[in-house]
Amino acid sequence: MPYFGSEEMVKELKRALSNPNVQADRLRYKNYITKVIRYMTQGLDVSALFMDMVKASATVDIAQKKLVYLYMCTYASDKPDLALLAINTLRKDCADPNPMVRGLALRNMCNFRMPGMTEYIEQPIVAGLRDKASYVRRVAVLGCAKMHSLQPNTDIDGTIVNELYALLRDPDPVVVVNCLRALEEILKDEGGVVINKPIAHHLLNRMKDLDSWAQSEVLTFLLRYRPRSDDELFDILSLLDSFLQSAHAHVAVATLRLFLQLASAHPAVQADALLCTSAPLLATCGAASRELRFAGLCHVQQVMRSQPGLFGTHYKRFFCGYSEPTYIKFRKMEILVELVNDENVALVLEELRSYCTDVSPELAQAAIAAIGRIAQTYSEKCLDILTGLLALKQDHITSAVIQMFRDLVWFCPQSTAAVCQTVEACVDSPQDSEQALLWLLGEHGDQISSAPYVMEGYIDGLKTELSSAVKMELLTASVKMFLCRPAETQDMLGRLLHYCIEEESDVCVRDRALLCYRLLQRGVEETRKVVTGPKSDPSMSVLTGRQEEPISQWASTFNTLGPLSGCDLCPQTAVISAADQPSSSAEKELLPESTDVTLSSPDDTEEEISLSLGPPLSHETFEKMWLDLEILQRQTMGFPRPRTALDTLQAALQLVKIQTLAFTPGATVPWKAYIYTRSTGTLILAELLQGDQHAPGIDESLVVSVKQQPVNQHAIRGFVSILKGVLQTLNVDSS
Amino acid sequence: MAASAIFILDLKGKVLICRNYMGNVNINEIDNFMPIMMKREEDADLSPVVIHGSTHFLWIKHSNLYLVAITKKNTNAALVYSFLYKLVEVFTEYFKSLEEESIRDNFVTVYELMDEVMDFGFPQTTDSKILLEYITQRGHKLEVGAPRPPATVTNAVSWRSEGIKYRKNEVFMDVIESVNLLVSATGSVLRSEILGCIKLKVVLSGMPELRLGLNDKVLFEITGREKSKSVELEDVKFHQCVRLSRFENDRTISFIPPDGESELMSYRLNTTVKPLIWIESVIEKFSHSRVEIKVKARSQFKSRSTANNVSILVPVPSDADSPKFKTTTGQAKWVPEKSAVEWNIKSFPGGKEFMMRAHFGLPSVESDVLEAKRPITVKFEIPYFTVSGIQVRYLKIIAKSGYQALPWVRYITQSGDYQLRTN
Repeated sequence: MPYFGSEEMVKELKRALSNPNVQADRLRYKNYITKVIRYMTQGLDVSALFMDMVKASATVDIAQKKLVYLYMCTYASDKPDLALLAINTLRKDCADPNPMVRGLALRNMCNFRMPGMTEYIEQPIVAGLRDKASYVRRVAVLGCAKMHSLQPNTDIDGTIVNELYALLRDPDPVVVVNCLRALEEILKDEGGVVINKPIAHHLLNRMKDLDSWAQSEVLTFLLRYRPRSDDELFDILSLLDSFLQSAHAHVAVATLRLFLQLASAHPAVQADALLCTSAPLLATCGAASRELRFAGLCHVQQVMRSQPGLFGTHYKRFFCGYSEPTYIKFRKMEILVELVNDENVALVLEELRSYCTDVSPELAQAAIAAIGRIAQTYSEKCLDILTGLLALKQDHITSAVIQMFRDLVWFCPQSTAAVCQTVEACVDSPQDSEQALLWLLGEHGDQISSAPYVMEGYIDGLKTELSSAVKMELLTASVKMFLCRPAETQDMLGRLLHYCIEEESDVCVRDRALLCYRLLQRGVEETRKVVTGPKSDPSMSVLTGRQEEPISQWASTFNTLGPLSGCDLCPQTAVISAADQPSSSAEKELLPESTDVTLSSPDDTEEEISLSLGPPLSHETFEKMWLDLEILQRQTMGFPRPRTALDTLQAALQLVKIQTLAFTPGATVPWKAYIYTRSTGTLILAELLQGDQHAPGIDESLVVSVKQQPVNQHAIRGFVSILKGVLQTLNVDSS
Repeated sequence: MAASAIFILDLKGKVLICRNYMGNVNINEIDNFMPIMMKREEDADLSPVVIHGSTHFLWIKHSNLYLVAITKKNTNAALVYSFLYKLVEVFTEYFKSLEEESIRDNFVTVYELMDEVMDFGFPQTTDSKILLEYITQRGHKLEVGAPRPPATVTNAVSWRSEGIKYRKNEVFMDVIESVNLLVSATGSVLRSEILGCIKLKVVLSGMPELRLGLNDKVLFEITGREKSKSVELEDVKFHQCVRLSRFENDRTISFIPPDGESELMSYRLNTTVKPLIWIESVIEKFSHSRVEIKVKARSQFKSRSTANNVSILVPVPSDADSPKFKTTTGQAKWVPEKSAVEWNIKSFPGGKEFMMRAHFGLPSVESDVLEAKRPITVKFEIPYFTVSGIQVRYLKIIAKSGYQALPWVRYITQSGDYQLRTN
């Protein structure tokens, strides 16, 4: 920000700072330094004072030191040669007897973002890692990460990495967490810090000592760890149990995410965890800070994707308060729509109805849209409300209601009669909803007695109509109307076509008119065949219940930015979900060895992978390999095994080049099958299991465990998706 | 969480304070923040996450300031918001009130604090009590003894320093319950909940061990005293000093308290209770001439308690004028800037009913703007009373040096978000 006379100011400051009288008077000297920082904060370029400021760093006043360091960090990258002069002072401070000074100097030295810094800071950092004061160790550990970020492309220093891993056992909890953070940064290209069994157990035991920030982060790191046995898994879960109810929303949510991930093979445990966290989540939805409330609501929405019933009884928690910002109100309404059930529908609708008359038109329209969505299940009650709203004669309300009517008729044909009766009454529709009204008139003209007359009004006012979309809709609707009520419509349709063909300037409208004209020339029956389609969405019947998604669909983006911006209409949403998390193939649960593999969506792998049978495998070889190898991937299919005869299954698998080695005959439980196949140089072995006695809750679903030699994640993904496809097809066929 | 940078902006979006923690974002990115916000606000599409390219802005607003965290990573949003609010809390502790003025006046301390609470984008020491020990508003001279990192930084008990000494040892405990209420225009209770918390002010020497006994229903069931009056607490949350394992085992609340003021625990009660102060209102609007308001307030608690400083805020049309009031008790006044009548009652005993009538003139020319239906809000506090009936049965103070200490307990019930919708 170019200040008027800023150069003067800098000169004056320079004079003052180099004045020996000022330097002698400590208070005055410090005041001038404060002034420099103040200008710097205001965006003024005071880099010309660098030399004088470096001199000021040799002081005993710690606050002054901090100010000077802040100054140097800001301008170091602009004046690297001068910054080198300051390094000596800083290095001297790194050996100060006071840990406070040591830490301060080290932290700031690491903050100098300029090339060639590494050689100066490496030695103090290594010394800092072994400092006896934890304050210095904390700084030094993060210093390692800073040093790495200065030269991101250099080789990783193995000794520092080892030292950091060793410091995970530090008595100071912040040092421990900083180590994790630093290792994560340094080893970013290799997939981040490795959490093996001893580290995981160590971290779990330290959880109680950590502050809430650290807890939340450690929980995120633990996502990488996969317990080796069910016993270990349940030990971990019971250790973490109390954190589900943590006072800090972010810890509770992070714990929930870990639970969902660890227990992905145990749906009963997942459901329990969700039930347990529902109270803290609800509390977050009522938090004092609106941002946290918003975050809470977004996460409730996620949970409801799998467990729509979980919050049904708490619907009153999602009623909007008067002073809440609109982004919260919108979310709450979305949730209310989702949690409606037979018990609460009356009260929810009554509440939503009161929002329809809100002063904010956006909010009112959103509330009407919400009622419209509920109407797809509870059409009668909602129709009454929507019809009642028309009586208010508010343009923005009427327009939203008519649009809802159109959707409703399309999705629930049984409400057609009632809607038509209502539409009869509202002939002069406001802007924005003309298209919807015309569609209704055209589609159901036979049931709306006044339809041709309303239509005529539009045709007569065509010259003043601006929107070409409305004109096109009018053309289509008039043709439809002509088919069911020719006598009343013929004349005006002629006028409409004449106008649109002869006088209309918009090419699209003219072309549509010509199309209609030529179509009518072919005869009425021909036109009827072309114009009239199904009157309602053929794929939908009355919605009785919402689809419940598997938890794995959303668990991987849980507790990230994803849920918060997911509903934003930003083109960048893809960036967020892809930024850190392997979300696209989220349902695949990968073992830690493979987390560094960049995942692509399962769709495109399907085409590239090809399986082959190759020479048959003997039972003995298979058994030996099966015992030697480790499970690389285990996945719950989400559906039971096909009910077809087993020969059919075998034949179907053979068709896609998967060989069946053995299976349990008939309907025995647990049911198992061993299969194998080859693909681009690797051998894939797999076990299909249904009715695992270790996990009684999921006996309905098929679990696939895959082993491979040599490892090729790409091939596994292809194999699993092919296998899934086959089994699903068989399932559909047999039912 | 890795926040790349944290900014404090004024309402116009001008940067007051900026701290670039990671150096992986361009500081000028912040210039994109305000324009996006303005546009979003116009579209009524504001959201606490603002995205520009690959940069995410997570922001909160506090008085006349924006606190913005920039991140490039897909971080845990709740954590970032919590951190920003923590920052507000720390600043407030230091400067009494956090606003543009106090930031400008204390920017040196602000920088010092921002240096300590976060490093390389990761939260470090955020406990304001500990920070207060080594970052003071006055500059330190090394000769006088520069501040050492407090022992708490390495202590096993991270929330209390060793070697605290007082001449008189006391503990003050406040049991505060706030009532949230939402009543529909038809008079049915839509939401009623009680949020309770126990606040401590500790003036104790050394490392004392405290044990708190409540009339907790679960505890009474364990010990077989089911007949005594007890309360069922939900969503109990404790300060980190409370030993959770002991609480889970035998419901004992034992802890080494932080020095000074702190919140020991919070809880929630979902049991529906009768609204403490019930309001019936009739607002009749005669277009072009006048508005007549009749409000009846009834206290629905026992007559031995008294609500103090009751303030009932009734909305009136913004174009109303020439008010006239009549009350059976207390004073009513018109607050034009809030477009409301404020009816203040100094003391409101239980089981009583009071009335207020107000009359306003309306201009003969009516404005087209639709008025929002604002709710009636009520503020009050009732001392020596808790809705839940929670009681502190004992507070034992066990100190190694064996000094005598006095515990003081106070109960208070107050209004939280207490709203009654109007027609």
